[in-house]
Amino acid sequence: MILVSLDIDGTLEGGDPPGPIPLEFARRLQALGVVVGSSSDRTLTDQRRFWQAGGVEIDFVVLKHHLPDLPGKFDCGRYLHIGDTNQDVYFARLAGFEFWHVDSLEKPGPGEHPAQAMIDLLLLRLSGDPSVDGQAG
Amino acid sequence: MSAPAIHRSAAGMYRTTDGLGRWPYRGQVAAVGIGHSPTMRRWDGEAQTSIGAWCILAIRKAIADAGVSPAEVDGLVFDPETSTGSYWPADQPVPADFRAAFVPASDPLDGLAQLSPEWLLKNMPELTNVKFVMLASHCMSMAVAATVEAVGRGLTNVCVAVKGWHNFAGRYYQSGPNALPTVSGPGKHTPQSWAGPTCYGTAMQFERYLHKYGGSHDMMAPFVVNSRANGLLFPEGYFAQHRDTPITAEDYLTTRWIAKPANLLDNDMPIHAAAAYVFTTADRARDLKQPPVYVLGHAGGGTVQGDSYGPIPPRSCVETLEEAQANAASTARHVYEAAGVSASDIQFENCYDGFSLFHVFWIEGFGFAGVKEGECLDFFQTDISINGPNPVSPSGGNIGSGRTRFWGWTDTIQQLQGRAGARQLKIDAHCGLVGAFMPIWSNFAVLSKDPG
Repeated sequence: MILVSLDIDGTLEGGDPPGPIPLEFARRLQALGVVVGSSSDRTLTDQRRFWQAGGVEIDFVVLKHHLPDLPGKFDCGRYLHIGDTNQDVYFARLAGFEFWHVDSLEKPGPGEHPAQAMIDLLLLRLSGDPSVDGQAG
Repeated sequence: MSAPAIHRSAAGMYRTTDGLGRWPYRGQVAAVGIGHSPTMRRWDGEAQTSIGAWCILAIRKAIADAGVSPAEVDGLVFDPETSTGSYWPADQPVPADFRAAFVPASDPLDGLAQLSPEWLLKNMPELTNVKFVMLASHCMSMAVAATVEAVGRGLTNVCVAVKGWHNFAGRYYQSGPNALPTVSGPGKHTPQSWAGPTCYGTAMQFERYLHKYGGSHDMMAPFVVNSRANGLLFPEGYFAQHRDTPITAEDYLTTRWIAKPANLLDNDMPIHAAAAYVFTTADRARDLKQPPVYVLGHAGGGTVQGDSYGPIPPRSCVETLEEAQANAASTARHVYEAAGVSASDIQFENCYDGFSLFHVFWIEGFGFAGVKEGECLDFFQTDISINGPNPVSPSGGNIGSGRTRFWGWTDTIQQLQGRAGARQLKIDAHCGLVGAFMPIWSNFAVLSKDPG
């Protein structure tokens, strides 16, 4: 099982500033059996409201500095955090998570759903394809 | 229109020493109009939401709110600096649509990343009678102090105080000198080149406070929760407009440390916004659209040296708790002396909270609600809401509405005019205290429904 933690501001479309990842990305990942949630400096109340407003029932919300708590709650083989700042890098590494910069998720091609394009890339990368690099951006 | 007299320093307008006595213009100057721009977390790049455009919008709204004609405005006081800590990149051209939207001044960044008298007046052709312009640095409180003093001295009759804050994309204080590999000389201690989190000095003072008086950082939770609750009732504020989410005590207690014991929610969030107020003489105020709110007195804490108005120098690099307390107390002494009131006359307070922690020093320094040194955290456990007997920060301040340092002015005027809407205090408030910013450098005023 894989756990994907998403930063909000600068990472998700509804963030402030908006990031490139649509909320549909989380929904589609969940459908694939991935544990998905947010790890942000926004308060827990704010994060819950954010997801409720987007109509997505997420698996977890945590404060960014509580990323290290997640492995104790979800027994997964891989832990991944996607974000856009050096705080994301710092807390992901502190928690032993892989960090992927949001800008490293490929832009969709014509006619491709952006969420699906990002998921395709994410799965390709998780499969170990050395030609794709999550640290870029 | 003849060219206005432009005063590039407001240092001569501030009252920062003991023994100045009652303000000679007590009750003779009144706030009569309020204008706000909308708010944004960061500038969206549109010409009509640039900080210059929003300052113009705020001025126009304040003039309309007061019910005076633009031609009647003969004074303008503002801070030419508009940065929240973000800077226009040196290699980035000024956007063409911004250049096309406004009459340019000599500096292409005017209206975009700073203000100038030339730019404002060129782009507000309706202000045909401005004779007095004064630049007052750093915050609305300094602009208001200079404004009311100017009206009192008869330098201007209908004067607008305006303050804009721009916030560009990117991180806060991560450009300018702070982005350089090294900064030499005294500049390394300036706010443009912080050596750590900006709140570390206040955090250090607060740590000492907890050691000296007991209590815990957790005891700040009611203040922060109350501030956001009040902010969400402030339609002009950022959180009411964009992120309508209360802060719970759990949220506050679990958020991460920035400089322990100052956490993320003890820090205010930079935003992009502008506000303006119209002040005039008590005589002129009587028949205007809004009920006048009288200035009983203004004073502050700072160092005036010639044309310079700067902070009170600490003994060492960072102000200690004891220095912060002494500065807050002496500022309070100046303010009460100027206004001819005592702490027991103050029914609500809108002291600055740019870091929530030093609100404690202001409340104790001013002795609001009888609170003495070391007692404020216990006081926060009582009813400090807008419904209670001792309303604390009914504006919500920077914590409740975003970093502007001007919410307290709007709220205090609105409370005394009886048009604070959902935030209207339950007590029949006649007298409020407002000002900013840190104990080391500030301006405050006592405002009242009655001229005294």
